[in-house]
Amino acid sequence: MVKESSEKSLIRKMIPNVFKAAVWGIFTYVIVSYLPTLLFPIDFLPFGYNQLFDLFVGIAVFFAVITNLFSGTIFGYAFSIARGLVMIIYFIVAFNGGIIRLTMPMQEFTVNLVVDVKAFLTILVLVNLLGIGKSLLQVTNFLAKKVEANQLN
Amino acid sequence: MKQAIRALATAILILWVLLIAFAITAVYSVMNLDIDFGETQFFPSNEDIVLSLPFFINNRGYYDISELNVTTRVTDYNGTLLALSETFVPLIASGSNVETVHNISIDLNDLFMEYTEILFNDGSFELDAFIALNFAHAIPVQMSINMTIPWGAPFSNLSIGEISVDPFYNLTHSEVVIPVSFENHSFFDIVGTMQLEVYNDMDELVTSEQRSLNVSSYGEYDEPVEMYLSTGDLSKLTESGKLHLVFESPMFTVEQWIPYG
Repeated sequence: MVKESSEKSLIRKMIPNVFKAAVWGIFTYVIVSYLPTLLFPIDFLPFGYNQLFDLFVGIAVFFAVITNLFSGTIFGYAFSIARGLVMIIYFIVAFNGGIIRLTMPMQEFTVNLVVDVKAFLTILVLVNLLGIGKSLLQVTNFLAKKVEANQLN
Repeated sequence: MKQAIRALATAILILWVLLIAFAITAVYSVMNLDIDFGETQFFPSNEDIVLSLPFFINNRGYYDISELNVTTRVTDYNGTLLALSETFVPLIASGSNVETVHNISIDLNDLFMEYTEILFNDGSFELDAFIALNFAHAIPVQMSINMTIPWGAPFSNLSIGEISVDPFYNLTHSEVVIPVSFENHSFFDIVGTMQLEVYNDMDELVTSEQRSLNVSSYGEYDEPVEMYLSTGDLSKLTESGKLHLVFESPMFTVEQWIPYG
């Protein structure tokens, strides 16, 4: 009887989270995939960058869904920190450590292009580090509140 | 704690908005960059040839392009440096355009003195173009292009035909006729003189003749050169020997030895 009622309350708690996760998943997909492809044609991206873009969309949507699904729990914050770390690794890999090298065949000759995006990459990494810092503060706040509630009880 | 979290969340949101706005406008600016190359032209001057590469950049984007540096290196097939040129444009501000010319100057006299074979044989040069610029004062971009430029020799397929001798041209002189032919595969006209000297197998000068030359670019020269020598000197002309050809023009002086017989 007690088990049944706790399952019901868990489902009741989960329903808004599932709804929120679905909405955030769709919203994130629209922002990171649909709108950019409307603004710029996908073939604008050079060579292997199409796959990297799809991977970025996948990571963004996955973490948007999972963090919202577990929001209000410690797992939500853990996934938020994981998102920051995965994004940092992704950006470093996608931007090839800040130096993008492309070789483009053009008619009779070959063009070698080197773009130094170290400054842009540094800012991206710092923003994600700030996000991790924010999640750490949130988890500290969450645990502090929990301990406080236990002590009061 | 809550205020700190809220402040951090606001800062992160602002930074993300700025980063995304920069990324979108940067891509938009690159897409709206209008780069056009004019027709490459060769200008032969007194001792130089100038390869002129006009280019036009219309920056219709949101960001400045600064420190545009175009460097070109021309090397021969052995990798020996023949010319190094640089063009620098300090700034192409957003909404403005720049029309400039990159000139590659090659000293022909030096070139032909060192590499005589390129006057007689077609070949190619290697052109390495290196373009560096700073986009939005934040993103350095470098581009390199390797090209092979075909070279047409001005005295391509230089040859002499069968030498004919008329011992009794007149009472005092004999006539020697040597057909000379070559094709001007170069982009410039050959205007100058051709000196033809005949040496016998004892390396003695038998006779000589000077002709003026005016062979247009991609034109052909095929003419008999008539030379005269006194009948008494005809015995000096042996069955075999060497012909010495000296070509002189304002751009170069070059000589070539061709055996006959």
